[in-house]
Amino acid sequence: MSYMFNPGAQSEANIEVHKYYSGTVVAVCFLALVLQAFLHKFGPWAELVDLPLLVTVYFGVSRRNPVSGLLLGAAIGILQDGLSHDNPIGLFGIAKTLVGYLASSVGARIDTEHPASRFALIFLFFHFHQVVLAATEHVLLNHAAPFFTFSLLWNSLATAAFGVVLFALLDRLRRQS
Amino acid sequence: MVDLVISRHRPLAVLAAALFAQVLLLAFQIKRDHDVRLIRYWAAAVVTPFERFGTWSLSKVGGVWTGYIALHGARAENARLRSELAQLQLRNRELESEALEAQRLSALLNFRETHTEAPLLAAQVIGASADPASHTLVLNRGERDHVRRNMGVITPDGVVGKIVEVFPTTSQVLLMSDKDSGVGALLAETRTHGVVKGSGDPDPRVDYVVNDEKVHPGEMIVTSGEDRIFPKGLLIGTVASAKDGNPFQNIRVQPAARLDRLEDVLILLTQQDLSEKKGSETADSAAPAAKTSGIVQTGALSAPLVRPATSPGTSSSGANGSASSPIKPGAGISPAVSPQPQMSAPQN
Repeated sequence: MSYMFNPGAQSEANIEVHKYYSGTVVAVCFLALVLQAFLHKFGPWAELVDLPLLVTVYFGVSRRNPVSGLLLGAAIGILQDGLSHDNPIGLFGIAKTLVGYLASSVGARIDTEHPASRFALIFLFFHFHQVVLAATEHVLLNHAAPFFTFSLLWNSLATAAFGVVLFALLDRLRRQS
Repeated sequence: MVDLVISRHRPLAVLAAALFAQVLLLAFQIKRDHDVRLIRYWAAAVVTPFERFGTWSLSKVGGVWTGYIALHGARAENARLRSELAQLQLRNRELESEALEAQRLSALLNFRETHTEAPLLAAQVIGASADPASHTLVLNRGERDHVRRNMGVITPDGVVGKIVEVFPTTSQVLLMSDKDSGVGALLAETRTHGVVKGSGDPDPRVDYVVNDEKVHPGEMIVTSGEDRIFPKGLLIGTVASAKDGNPFQNIRVQPAARLDRLEDVLILLTQQDLSEKKGSETADSAAPAAKTSGIVQTGALSAPLVRPATSPGTSSSGANGSASSPIKPGAGISPAVSPQPQMSAPQN
C-alpha cells in the first residue's frame, strides 16, 4: 500500500524509465488535443476515442513519475475543458490528474509493454476516468451523469483497441538509451 | 524530519494540491456562472490556428483527390457515356424514321378511308431497278394479293405509275417518268388532252398538245381516264414549263408524287372513279381540294366504272416496251387487260 503513495521510489530501481526527445511529450499531447477538437466536427465517430486520455495514460505509464504524470494529466484536462463549450474548467482536469497519477503509479509496478496489459490498462483507466467525471459532476456540480452505460462500454473497448495501436506508434518516439 | 516526510509524500502532496486547486476553480466557476473566459481564450488561441491549418490542408487534399485522383475512372466513364450517346442517337434516328413512316401510313389511311368506294391496296416499295435508266420499283404485293398487270399505282399526292410485271408475292411498277411509260392526261383548265410520257429525266413531259393551245406553268394536269388504267381526274402534276415546238409543244411536268422518295403506295384494284361521291361537282369547284387530296375532279368525273378493254395488245403501250408507239389522246395508252373477277369493282 505504501507503493501507492510513494511509487516513484520503487519504480526507478526496478523498472526502466523511458525518456523522450525534448518537446516530444508536449507536441504529442498538444496534437492529441488538437485532433480531438478537430476531428469532432467530422462526426460522432470521433467521440469513440478519447485521445487526450490515451496520451495521459501512455506518458504516465512510460515515464513512471507520479508528479509529472499528474501535472501532465492536469494540463491536458484543463486544456480539454478550455476547448469545450460548456464544461466548467477543472472537470476533465481533476479526472485526468488522477488518471495521470495512477498511471504513473501503476507503470512503476507492472509490465505495461505487452499489448494485452496495455489494453486492460486503457480499458480500466477509461472507466476510472468516467467514474471520476461522473462523481465530480454529482458532488461538485450537482449534475446527473452516468457512471456506466453500454455505450461507454463500447467506447472503452474502442479506445483500448485504438490505444494499443497508438501506444506502439508512440513507442517509436522513445529516445534510445 | 519534515523534509523527509515531504520528500516521501511529495507526489501525494502535489496531487492533493492540484486537485484542491481545480476544485477551487470549479467552485469559483459555480459562483461566477462558468465565467472563466481567460482559460478558454488561451485554449482557443493555441488550438484554433492548428485547426484552421488542418481544415485548409484537408480542403486542399480533398481538392487534389476530387480534381485528380478520383478522376481516374473518368476516361472509362466518358467512353461509356459516348457509347451510350451513340446508342441513343441511333435509337432516336430509328424513332424519327418510325414517326415519318407512321405519318406516311396515316396519309395513306386517310386517303383510303376517304375513298372507300374504290378498292385500293396499300403496298410498300421494297426495291428498285438495277438499271439506272429504268424507272421501276418493286412492291411487296403480287398475285396472291390480287395484283394484276396494268393496274394503276398512286399515292395521296398523285399518280406514280402502273404495274408492268406481277410475281406471286411481288410486283414491278413502271414509274410515269420512265421513257417507256405513258399516261392519258388532261390539262385541267384548258381541257386539252395529251399524253404524259417519261423522258428519262425526273420530269416527264406532255406530248401531243398543239402549239395553238394556251398552256401556262403551274396548270394542273390530271388523268383523262382514256388509258383505261387510271380513273379520270387523278392528279398527275403541274406544268413546269411550256414552249412551242414542232409539231407539238414541249411541256415539262412537275410530278405531284415524289417519285424519287416513294416508300408506301396504293394500288388501284379497279378503274372505278375515285371521286364518284362528288359526281355532280365541277372541276373548278374541286380544284382547291385537289391540291391537298391529290384527286382532281373534272367535268366528267362522274362517269361510272370504266371497264378494261376486252383483250390485251389491241393498243400500243409503254408497258409492253413499244415506247415509240404514239399514244393519242382519246385512245387507251396501254393494253387493256382482261378483268379479273376478284378485281372488278362493284357496279353501281
